[in-house]
Parts: sequence; structure tokens; C-alpha cells
Amino acid sequence: MTDTIRFRLNGEETESHSDPSARLLDVLREEFLLTGVKCGCKEGECGACSVIIDGQLANSCMVALGSVSGSDVMTIEGYSKTKRYQKLSEAYAEFSAVQCGFCIPGMVMASEALLSHNPHPTEEEIREGISGNLCRCTGYSAIVSAIKKASENGEGLW
Amino acid sequence: MVTLRNGYIPETLAEALKIRSENQVVPYAGGTDLMIKAQPSSYLFLNKLSALQKVEQDGDMLHIGPGCNYTMLLNHPAVPKVLKEAMIRIASPATRNRGTIGGNICNASPKADSVLILYASDAELKLSSIAGERIVPIEEFFTGRGKTILREDELLTDIRLPLKGLDDYYYYKVGARRAMAISRVAFVGLLNTENGKISRVAAAFGAISDTVLRFREFEAMLLGKTLAEATALKPAFLAKYQEAIVPIRGRVSAEYRKQVCMNLLADFLNSNGI
Repeated sequence: MTDTIRFRLNGEETESHSDPSARLLDVLREEFLLTGVKCGCKEGECGACSVIIDGQLANSCMVALGSVSGSDVMTIEGYSKTKRYQKLSEAYAEFSAVQCGFCIPGMVMASEALLSHNPHPTEEEIREGISGNLCRCTGYSAIVSAIKKASENGEGLW
Repeated sequence: MVTLRNGYIPETLAEALKIRSENQVVPYAGGTDLMIKAQPSSYLFLNKLSALQKVEQDGDMLHIGPGCNYTMLLNHPAVPKVLKEAMIRIASPATRNRGTIGGNICNASPKADSVLILYASDAELKLSSIAGERIVPIEEFFTGRGKTILREDELLTDIRLPLKGLDDYYYYKVGARRAMAISRVAFVGLLNTENGKISRVAAAFGAISDTVLRFREFEAMLLGKTLAEATALKPAFLAKYQEAIVPIRGRVSAEYRKQVCMNLLADFLNSNGI
């Protein structure tokens, strides 16, 4: 019997001793102090807690810690050290796609998940890609433009 | 196998069934329904069990591993279009990446969009335990809202989907918006003809009662009939449903749900020239 869950977190092998049935969201924020992972709704409706698990977008509020044993988890904190992030950051700034900012870490993770599977998305595909991420400030159009621009400026990165 | 202080991570299906038979555990597939409550639970983590994530075609029968998430199934060429059309309307990409078809079934919500399609297509479920296995028609699996016949020692291990005749379908989901919408009413209709006569009718209604509803005795009225004969029977056919459908009031009124059901049923017949 073990009380240790091992997984990769932002590129480094790590372990948690929290309850395996705990929300990954809570573990990331409270045990690992990764507060870029936002808690919005706790029911998978808002996307603020989006992380990337084994290359796939996930709402960390709907993931039990035990289910990521052996997985690769990336949060905005890890992603922000990449070149791809830089391209998204520049494009989000160019279009003023950030207002209050609460949704943005999740929105950026959704942007990355989209571009990593589809480097040249259409506007409709971008809207579908971020359809699980709520933003109450921007009206989305600036975000859609930013993702489109990042995909052009970041040619070859994705 | 990893035995956690609270929970289990099996590496094989045999291990999973053994744990299931010996312990009080909650099977964890994708977690997207379970984690909404997020109560401390002893989970049996099935999410990495490759034995439950296969899709295999055997002639006209498609075997879908219940551990397949929606993204896997949407990307799989053997999965029929009608099922994909229902799955692409489920929640958002993040939820479709984790949520599984087996979880959708075992959660036993009458609003489960994939279950609706399985009802209309006469799918069967394989339930396994260390003692053996049984195969049940999907409509016998559900006994009420959130209730199934799955025993404490059993796991859903295969979804058997007969592929024949699924190309001609009518599907409509009524939700509040495009993404993240829970069905207010969902409907699927299948109508096949052979030599000018109706060989199959299936009309299933989701999100209006404690389980998906399908009325085989009404469907039988149209079997063996030509489209012209079926058209003559249409008023009587619709009247049966008008009498039988008694939707539960939810976030939208029962009257609204009833009207939408009848509209969709009539439109389904219209679309088939009836």
C-alpha cells in the first residue's frame, strides 16, 4: 500500500501525498501552490482550471489526483516558459485579448491544446477549441483573433 | 496493480474485477460526472486500462470499449456517424477528452447523449465479474434515474453496437446553446426500408423521463408497411406517442418538452417521406 501518487508536473517528476480522490485542481493550488490554475465553477463548465494532461486539454476540477498517476501534467506555470507561450502572449497583448484576466490561464492552455492538434485552425475551429472556456469580459472576438495571429506568427512552432 | 491508501490502480482487467469483487469501490472511468460531487471515495481507477479502450469491428458488430473517451471515439473511423453527431455536441473539448462512453452509460442520466443513440440502435452491454459475464440489451440496464442493474462486483466491459442500418438517421438535440449544453430534449430516429417496405423503425427520446424512452409496440405499427401505408397510419401513430409521452418537469416545462418531442417525431417521419 502506498500514499504516494507519482506524476510529471511541468516537466519534473513529482509526487503527491494527498487523497487520490481529491480534485487535481485543489492539489495543484494548495499542495503545489500553482495558483495560475484558477477555480471558477468546480463542475467543468468554465474552463478556468484548464491544464494539459498527456497532451490533452482537461478541466483539473473534474480530475481525481489518482487518475494522473504516471501522467504528464502541464499548467500555465510550466507552459509560460515555452516559446509557444511567448507567441500566444504577444498575440493576446496585441489584440487586447485580456481584460480582468481570470479566464486567461485556462484560455491559453485551451489555445495551446488547439494549436498542438491543429496548427492552422479556422475561426470556427478556434471557437470550438475554446468553447469550454468562459470569458465574461472580452466577448471572445479578440481572443479568437489573438489565437489566429499566434498560429501565423508561430509558424513552425506548432 | 497499485494499492493506494484510498483507492486502486489496476493494470489489467482481471485485477480490476478482482478488486471490484473484494472491496467497496467506485469505478472511475473519466471522472467528469463523479468529480462534480468530489466526495472522498475509494476509487477503482479504470482510466488507464487499455483493455477497456479498444474499438473492434466484427462484421456488422462494433465492440466499443467503455473506457474510450469521446475524443478517441470521434477520431475513430469505425464509429458510426450518428453516434459521433451526438458525441460532438457533448460539453466541450476538455470534457470530451476525459469523459467516457462507459461512464456516460453507468452514470445513468436520462440526458446522456450517447445512451440515446445506443437505445435506438439496439446496442447490448457486456457486464463482467470474476464469476462470469452477461450480455443485456441496453434498455434492460437502466432501472431509473441514476439506477442500473450493474452489481457491486461487476464492471461494464463491452458495448456491442450493431452497425447495420445506422446511416439513415434523424438526430436532434435541443440545448440552451451550442457548447456545454445539457439536453432539454434529445431525439434520434432510424427508419430503414427493404424492397419498398419499412424494415426498421426506432424512435428514442432523451432527457424527458427517468430513462431514455422508446416504444417498440408503437414502432411495430409501421413495420412491413410501404411509405404510403405508413403515411395513412401517421395520425394514429402520432396519437399513440401523444398519449404515452409524459415528460418530467425540469428546467424547462413538461409542456414544452412534450411539444418538442412531438414536433421532432413528426419531422422525423416527414424527412422519410411519411
